[in-house]
This record gives sequence, C-alpha cells and structure tokens, in this order.
Amino acid sequence: MAAPDSKRPTYATEAIPSDVKTGMFLGNPALDSLVSCVIAMNAEMWSMRRRMKVMEAVMAKKGVTTDLIEKYVPSAAEKVAWEQDRDRFVSLTLGALADQGFRDMSTDFPKR
Amino acid sequence: MHRRELLGLAAGSALVAHTLQGELAQAQEYFSTISVPGAAAGKAGTVTGSKGPLQRGTDGRLLRMGSLDLESQQDFTLAFRQMHARQIRVAANNAFQRLLEAEGIDPTMPLSVEQVRELVAKDPAINFGVKCWLSNQQITWKTLQDYYHQNADYYLAEMEAADKSGPGALVLSPAMTIPDYARHEIHIQPGGYVGDPFAGHIYHYGTNSFYISQYGHNEQDEIHRSMAGQMPIPADGKVKRILDMGCGVGQLTVALKERFPDAEVWGIDVGGPMVRYSHLRAARMGIGANFAQKLAEDTGYPDNHFDIVTSYIMHHEMPADVTRKVIAEAQRVTRPGGVYYPIDFKSGGTRTNPRQMYSRWWDHRWNNEVWSLEYHSMNLTDEVAQRGFTQVQNATAAMPGFGVRHFVRTA
Repeated sequence: MAAPDSKRPTYATEAIPSDVKTGMFLGNPALDSLVSCVIAMNAEMWSMRRRMKVMEAVMAKKGVTTDLIEKYVPSAAEKVAWEQDRDRFVSLTLGALADQGFRDMSTDFPKR
Repeated sequence: MHRRELLGLAAGSALVAHTLQGELAQAQEYFSTISVPGAAAGKAGTVTGSKGPLQRGTDGRLLRMGSLDLESQQDFTLAFRQMHARQIRVAANNAFQRLLEAEGIDPTMPLSVEQVRELVAKDPAINFGVKCWLSNQQITWKTLQDYYHQNADYYLAEMEAADKSGPGALVLSPAMTIPDYARHEIHIQPGGYVGDPFAGHIYHYGTNSFYISQYGHNEQDEIHRSMAGQMPIPADGKVKRILDMGCGVGQLTVALKERFPDAEVWGIDVGGPMVRYSHLRAARMGIGANFAQKLAEDTGYPDNHFDIVTSYIMHHEMPADVTRKVIAEAQRVTRPGGVYYPIDFKSGGTRTNPRQMYSRWWDHRWNNEVWSLEYHSMNLTDEVAQRGFTQVQNATAAMPGFGVRHFVRTA
C-alpha cells in the first residue's frame, strides 16, 4: 500500500491481503460488524476520556485544579441543560435496548 | 510480531492444563522478574528524538507515539487485550467446554485441525472471543496505519535521511523479487511486512501492546535484550560477526550489538520497510548494527562467515520447505564451531487437545498465520540437527517456553 501523500520512495511492494473481513464468526454478519463497531467506538471514547485527563492535568498546572473541577456546582440553567443532554445521550446510545424485534425479515406488513 | 503465533501460545484455559499454558506462565513469570540495565528513561541507549512537528518526546529508548489520540487508541487496545485474556477468553473457553460435553468429546483427546474445524462450526458462541480479539487487532493496526499515512511525507523523509546515516549500514534491494510466501498480511497487519512503507513503525508499536499483554513490558526491548543476554557463544569465545535472520524491526539485532559492541552485527529481513525502520531506530540510538534487505534462504554472505547465526520467531512464518533452505543457508554461513540458535515456538505435532488445536486453527486462519500449521507439521529442532549441526545438550533457553535450539556447526 503506497503512502497517500508523498512521492518519496517507499521500498514497499504489493502484499497478499488477508480476508479477515469476510469471516463470519457469530452466525450473522451483522452481529460480527456490530462487535467491531462497538470495540472501535470504545477505542474512540477512551481516547477522548484520556485527552480530557491530559487537559485537566495541563489546566491544573495553570491553576485550574482537579479540585476546582470536582467541586464545581453548575448553575440552575446549566443543570437543566445538562440533564437534557444526558437524557438525549442515554436515549441515543442505549435506546435500542428497548426495541422488541420479533418479526422475521421476510414478514409482510401486518396491515396497511 | 514479531512474528507471533498470536493466540497459539496465549491460549490460557482451565481446559488446557497442558504444555501451552505452562510455557506461557513460565515466560510470563520469567519476564516479570528480569531487570534490564539501561531500561529506565534517560540511561544508556536512550533515543535522542527526532525533529519535526510531531515530536512528543521519548520514553527511554522508545519514541513516544506521534499523537495523543494514537497513543490513547493503542492504550485502549492494550487494555482490551488484557481484559480479553482475563474475561472474554474465559467465557469462550466455557462455551467450548460445554460444546465438548454436548458432543461427548474428551477435552484431553488429541484432535486434528479438520476435526476441530468441524466442531467449531456448530456453535458461534465459542467464536465470540475470537471475533472480539480480531476486531481489536484490526483497530490496533488501522489506527497506526492511518496515523502514519496521514503523516506520510514526514515519516518517509525521516527514513530517507536516516537511510544514509550511521553508525550502522543499511542495504536496500528494491529490485529483489519478494517471494509470495512473504507477501501475506501476517497477523492481519495491513500490508504485512513488505506492503506498507511504514510496516516497521506499525509493527513495532502494535506489538508493544501485544508483548505487554502476553509476556511483559518490551518497550525498552527488555525481552529482546534478555534473549541477547542468553545467546550462547562459540566455545573458543570468538565473536566477530553475528547474523540475525528475519530481524523484523531489529530489536534482537540491536540488543546483540549492545552485548557484543566489537562484533559486526547484521540484521536481515525480506521487508524493505522493516529494515529501513530497524536502521532508523538503531541510528537514533547510536547503535552500530547493520541491516540489509535479504532473504534468509539466500543471504549472499560468504561461507563460514558468521560466529553466531540466530533468528527470532521467523520460522513459523515461512513454509516448511523454505525453513529447510534457511537451515541449509545457516549451515553454510556459520563457521565451524560457530553457534546457530533459531528462536521459535516449540514445534511438532499435527494433533493436539481440542482447545489448543482450536487456538492453533483460528490463529492460523483468521489471524493470518498462514504458515503456522506447516511449522507445526515438522520438528524444527530435528530439522536443524539433520543438517550439519550438533545440538548442545542441557542448553539454556534463550526465550523461556520456546524451543531450546542451541546448535554448534560441526567441522
């Protein structure tokens, strides 16, 4: 695979690709894909959390300490706004847990 | 991995109270206790860093990854590997146990790979652990590859500058025909060892998390330096030239040069990007190890040239017939009385207990260890013994849990 943004020599040659993405391990390719997505999303989530830790550490050296952050009391308006955002977040990420699928893919409309 | 049969040795299972787990435990215990001089940040061997906008400093001899996000993504995949070993694999093993019971199969009964393939197709639950592991492996590689490709010009320029610098030499062979057997994406690393210009960078940082999760820390080359420290020398004590075949990113090569500073040490690998990175890294550390893009089965070195010839986890990544050619080449270039010590997993046996064979199967098939079953179809130790070498009895293991293959070239 050539580097995308360089004309420099790479000393690379064509590889024989693996077919790992064609593997179906869970009896349903959608399940396989979902597992991959969940792990990837968590990698990104941890990356974000870790960046926040770095930011807190850097801010602490500039006077905004963890203590200040932990003890921060949101205003009434902030509290309302944050709760709304929390509920939206929960609904978006976990709302599908309440879905009640029972119809086969081939099932027609019960009525139209 | 290094050229690693990634799960084969990592099949920790209550089901497998067997050699594999014993080997792993032995290695883990060993590496948890070793102390490597100079491993701490700032001591001898510390990298001097590189210039450029992506510099984030060093951790001892390891250049920190180029971005905080990449470092965090790798941090996650490491944690996932560890959690997988502690929890997901246990659950998968339990599912496997239930399947064996349902099928009335004795968990200690040796099975062939064909029998195991038939078995696992019956129950997706036991494959869940594999799926999770592979997805995490893909993320490990993809995040690394994406990063280096996004910053390709910078890192290519860095290698270009290093190509011409010392203290060690770099010999590239862009016209060399790469055999098909070496072009596979081993460990599902995108591009494998030959197909991505940053194969060395990707391999090095990707395998760091693998080592931590399986054997212990290796960011300071602790494991490779330990192996170099255990490497036996010829009886006459003369060590002028050393060859490290299939050197990967040159960690053992560099460690050997550190142990034998007056010797001429060469690391060879089929991958141009691999030896470029090896050379870059050695140059950064000021270590005069030499690297060349060469085939282990056709090195081109003169007869009787080396006092020590070694390799690390190379043979299970080549077909059996190539391994035999490599042994013949090692016999040719090792001087009489010289040491030949190929370090690789214990081999031999096409039937083993169901859980172990399952691990061997999926690692071969889906982690793309294309040649690992061929490796296990022969006995590497016996193969070497048949080709002009005398095995040293009661020798020390250069890598605990691996095959003990200390040979001396017969006169």
